[in-house]
Amino acid sequence: MSNRQRPLTTRLFTTSDARLSLSRLKYQWKSGYGMLLPAFVLLIMFMYYPALSAIVLSFSSWDGFNSPIFNGLRNYITLVKDPVFWISIRNVAVWAAVKTTLEIAVPLFVAVLIYHLRSKRMQYIYRVIFVVPVVVPDIVLYLIWSFFFDPNIGVLGHLFSVLGLSGVTPNWLGDPNIALFALMSVGFPFVVPFNLLIFFAGLQAIPEEVMESARIEGVGRTRRFFQIELPLVMGQMKLLLILTMIQLLQNVTLPLVLTNGGPGYSTYVPGLLMYLLAFQNGQFGLGMAVSMVIFILVLSLTWIQFRYIRPGTEYTA
Amino acid sequence: MWKDFRKDLPSHSFLIVAALIALYPFIYMIMTSFKSNVEFYHNYFGISLPLHFDNYVVAWQAISPYLLNSALFAASGVIIMALTGSLAGYSFARLRYRGKPVIFMVVISLLMIPGLLTLIPLFLEMKGLRLLNSRIGMILAFAAGGQAFTIFVFRQSIASLPEELFEAARIDGYSEVRVYLNIVLPLSKPIIGTVSIFNLLSIWNNYLLPLVLINSQGKYPLTVGLMAFRGQFVYNAQYGPMFAGYTIASLPLLLLFLFTMRLFMRGLTAGSIKM
Repeated sequence: MSNRQRPLTTRLFTTSDARLSLSRLKYQWKSGYGMLLPAFVLLIMFMYYPALSAIVLSFSSWDGFNSPIFNGLRNYITLVKDPVFWISIRNVAVWAAVKTTLEIAVPLFVAVLIYHLRSKRMQYIYRVIFVVPVVVPDIVLYLIWSFFFDPNIGVLGHLFSVLGLSGVTPNWLGDPNIALFALMSVGFPFVVPFNLLIFFAGLQAIPEEVMESARIEGVGRTRRFFQIELPLVMGQMKLLLILTMIQLLQNVTLPLVLTNGGPGYSTYVPGLLMYLLAFQNGQFGLGMAVSMVIFILVLSLTWIQFRYIRPGTEYTA
Repeated sequence: MWKDFRKDLPSHSFLIVAALIALYPFIYMIMTSFKSNVEFYHNYFGISLPLHFDNYVVAWQAISPYLLNSALFAASGVIIMALTGSLAGYSFARLRYRGKPVIFMVVISLLMIPGLLTLIPLFLEMKGLRLLNSRIGMILAFAAGGQAFTIFVFRQSIASLPEELFEAARIDGYSEVRVYLNIVLPLSKPIIGTVSIFNLLSIWNNYLLPLVLINSQGKYPLTVGLMAFRGQFVYNAQYGPMFAGYTIASLPLLLLFLFTMRLFMRGLTAGSIKM
């Protein structure tokens, strides 16, 4: 059986240790655990303990000062009855659906264009150009866009007045019907560097003969894309689909920095709701219940990935 | 090369336009960072001469403390993760002891835990430990956050080293610690680089965790500091220095990128093995 087809568990744990003497085994037992110790001190204190706390305390009411009062499912019932919770779920669903599509389609398209350039050197240069933005902290990009959206001095407003449309310039972040889409447009044209590099690696892995025979048979660009390239980067696409959704589900910083959920509740997402409940209202228990909802959503997506998608897509620059 | 360029002209035109739009926010940022306020209002889209380098002096004074804090958090976090992660990775990849598969599974399960789940309890825990608003607490929280992923990557990489090396070391009577120091660490240099770039990027960009754990301005890292910085300069309508500050904030990683381009791109995609 080849390595890839074996179940993940056996693949992860097969070691080729040779026969070892008993004393040697004893020694490895000590150093084996010993070497895990530093990592585990960190993990137990700042990962396992808080993660378990979140699960337990999501069933409590806690202001963070007095001791928590356990109240069964009350937090979850409060959430289900809260229209703001459902608005935030709807917003994140729209957000994830639109942005996942764009953040997959655009990088794939750009990767294909770059891949078919005749000059290898230009391929590398374009990859570098599209990857460079990762050096800019996300928060800086958000702040620049927040300036772009400014109704008085923003770039978009100026652009509209240059085009003679100054009367109809929308109030991007101030109009509840537009704000969510304004937030989603941050990062236009969505050539996500990570996704671009993964797709490019996938295209590079297509055997030369496949492309060669397509060329000989005179297959056109469109047919080549849909019948050769798209099926052969399906693995990468599934991987990116899940990773992008998981990441979008957890995006708090963008709405927090640009709109703080407003106007009204029009840009609330579950992560932001969690943050505001805990750190603005002091409802820590209720906040943790929201974080549990996010956790369960992420867990389901991860499970889908584990179950149906192979875990590794290596990239070599 | 020029002939190739002409043949691929449609692709090139599309890619160049896309690149210009994608980079425009940063181009605008750099152009505006050199403008006085008069130039900002009267020549909104163009480049204005002379360049006002004094904007950078003003911005540097406001932003350098945040930059230093970020550098401290990132360097400490990355080093702690590389050391503890490689030790644990070696233990999982090469040593034999009871319960290893189960313990490894327990570590791997952490990859499914989103940072948002631990945010509130971490805050409450740090408050209890009196590590709130402490640089040490911040570093430990960062280091723990990327630990599971780091261990996983090290384990995979160390498991793929040739068995003969370890066999030979065993015959020579090397202790496990010596094997780690003399064989594993030197051979793990490439993976240490990749993982460290990945961890560096995630610490450098993290906004929420320091927002919650740090509350005095003197200890703010760049992300949280930039919000305070923006408030201060927007209030006085000093747009040149504001954009100069944003540019300064982007320079450290730009320099790193220019010097370690391939390693950087590998580090960026290290996340693809995250499950």
